Amino acid sequence: MSATDTEHRRLCHTLFDAIEQGDFARVEACYAPEMTMWFNVTGEESSRADNLAALVKGQRLHRRRLYNDRIVNTFDDGFVVQYTCNVVGHDGTNFALSACLVAEVHDGKIVKLFEYLDSGKFS
Amino acid sequence: MNEYEIRELCEAFFDAYENRRVDVLDRLYADDCIIWHNVYGRETTRDENLARYHEGYAGQRRRTYNDRIVNTFDDGFVIQYTLNGVMHTGHRGALWICIVAHCRDGQITRIDEYMDSSKFPAWMGPPRRDVGGDASEG
Repeated sequence: MSATDTEHRRLCHTLFDAIEQGDFARVEACYAPEMTMWFNVTGEESSRADNLAALVKGQRLHRRRLYNDRIVNTFDDGFVVQYTCNVVGHDGTNFALSACLVAEVHDGKIVKLFEYLDSGKFS
Repeated sequence: MNEYEIRELCEAFFDAYENRRVDVLDRLYADDCIIWHNVYGRETTRDENLARYHEGYAGQRRRTYNDRIVNTFDDGFVIQYTLNGVMHTGHRGALWICIVAHCRDGQITRIDEYMDSSKFPAWMGPPRRDVGGDASEG
């Protein structure tokens, strides 16, 4: 296992652990200043600031979110993680969503994220 | 497999899908290959997948697998692409898809496919008005 592989894996888990724990300062530290995120549901790219704002807002929507079953594979300048997002709503209902995130990484920071999921499962 | 071999396998697989070369797909799937879809949340075997290949084209005149971004890892690849389709109605649709694949000895052993099912109506477009046939159908 190369050093790059280890670093990318660590960055991936740091990001997901931070989102899970609502530690947005740590999420911010994972992102490069010019970071952007593309989402397959909207087909649009959002800025780093928009992404961080959406994470803060999203946290209030549910009681708890866990990013489980993470399968991480790394490549030279990034990683892909397949995971299950287990959500507990404020009313106690549970649901799970399978998703995939592809990340481009430069100098230890995420510069681009691509997220793929099925919004048909939201309902 | 090295990076070049994995990339060649990825391109050969998607070219075969585009060109309806089921014989090539058959060769590129390992005997124990499993295909998982996030929309259905279940796994299918290679034989089930191959058997449904033509069924999957229902209502569609042409598909092209464009804008392929491929990254490889030790035993596989991740590909992000745009599936462009032309329906028999002439409607053109697109889906953004991501596939994570595992490979062994020149074949694909597992595929995990991610897409958004809420885009399916826009992908297929409105139904054909004349169910009996469309003169413009290619």
